[in-house]
Amino acid sequence: MQATENSPETDVRTDEELVRIVVDGDVDCFEELITRYQPRVFGMARKYFRNESDAEDVVQTIFTKTFQKLSSYKGTAPFEHWFMRLSLNACYDALRRKRNRPDQTISDMLFDDESWQDRLSNIPDASDRVGLEEARELVYTVLGQISDRARIVLTLQELEGRSIREITEITGWSESLVKVQAFRARKEMRASVERFLMKEKKL
Amino acid sequence: MKVNETEQQFLKLAKTVQTDERVPDGFSALVMDRVMEQHALETHSADEQFLRFARNLPANENVPYAFEKRIMACLRELLTPDPLTLWSRMLWRAVAPCLGVMILVVLFSSGEPVDTSAGQAAGELDTADFETVILASFDDLENTW
Repeated sequence: MQATENSPETDVRTDEELVRIVVDGDVDCFEELITRYQPRVFGMARKYFRNESDAEDVVQTIFTKTFQKLSSYKGTAPFEHWFMRLSLNACYDALRRKRNRPDQTISDMLFDDESWQDRLSNIPDASDRVGLEEARELVYTVLGQISDRARIVLTLQELEGRSIREITEITGWSESLVKVQAFRARKEMRASVERFLMKEKKL
Repeated sequence: MKVNETEQQFLKLAKTVQTDERVPDGFSALVMDRVMEQHALETHSADEQFLRFARNLPANENVPYAFEKRIMACLRELLTPDPLTLWSRMLWRAVAPCLGVMILVVLFSSGEPVDTSAGQAAGELDTADFETVILASFDDLENTW
């Protein structure tokens, strides 16, 4: 989220400039960085944590860690990459610590009146908040059945459309490890989807 | 009646004929292949469908009200440590110089040659003085009697 748009009224500073100012001692400028990135970080955290308070805790940890490590940012890569990598690692750590297994089971997500195919073929409208929430629950429950690493790789590769190289940069894992994890992730996800289908057939 | 008899005969004959339960070679494998193919197709399409669904679902980027203020408050708290922390930090910082001074003192005291004769003389003198002071009152007493 590089701040490149310069409006005539406000002097928009780039992320790197803000970082320099904060490191030099003007802590208040960090608020601008938080305001810029918090929607994305919340979006990311909510992909891994269903509970709102868990997501808030993780986001708070991410910004605190960022502030503490800000002086180690060398400026060789864009701040956005550095920050998103740190955020993702924080999410991964929190997932591992929490062993975040869904409290909602597959059976809870099955509806008598609507089949799996029907539910997946209709993406709720942006105005349909309840529908969107239900859809997110469904995605969360399916992805909640797979391992943390697989989930992270699957989210980055399949849902966010990132390349293997980008994933290696974000996670810090080797390219071969990412490939292996991506393969396993697809396999685990297929098994999870299969479980849904089997349950539905039994109903 | 005639028809009935013929029917009966046919039924008898039919009963004697054994049912042909022979199975073509590899039939079960063929059926299983078809079943697995169908299953894989269903599952594959289902997981592809799921991925498409999850991909197109907009992320929930809502931010709680004044969340940045909350984080800034936490950071300011981090930046102003409590007096106890400051005190303990100072104590820790004082550890190295104290150790240095201690080592220097030990080195100086162990390195200096001790003058034993002077010490002995001083010790004798001290005991003589001590005796004089203690016995002085008794001497006075003798004089009075």
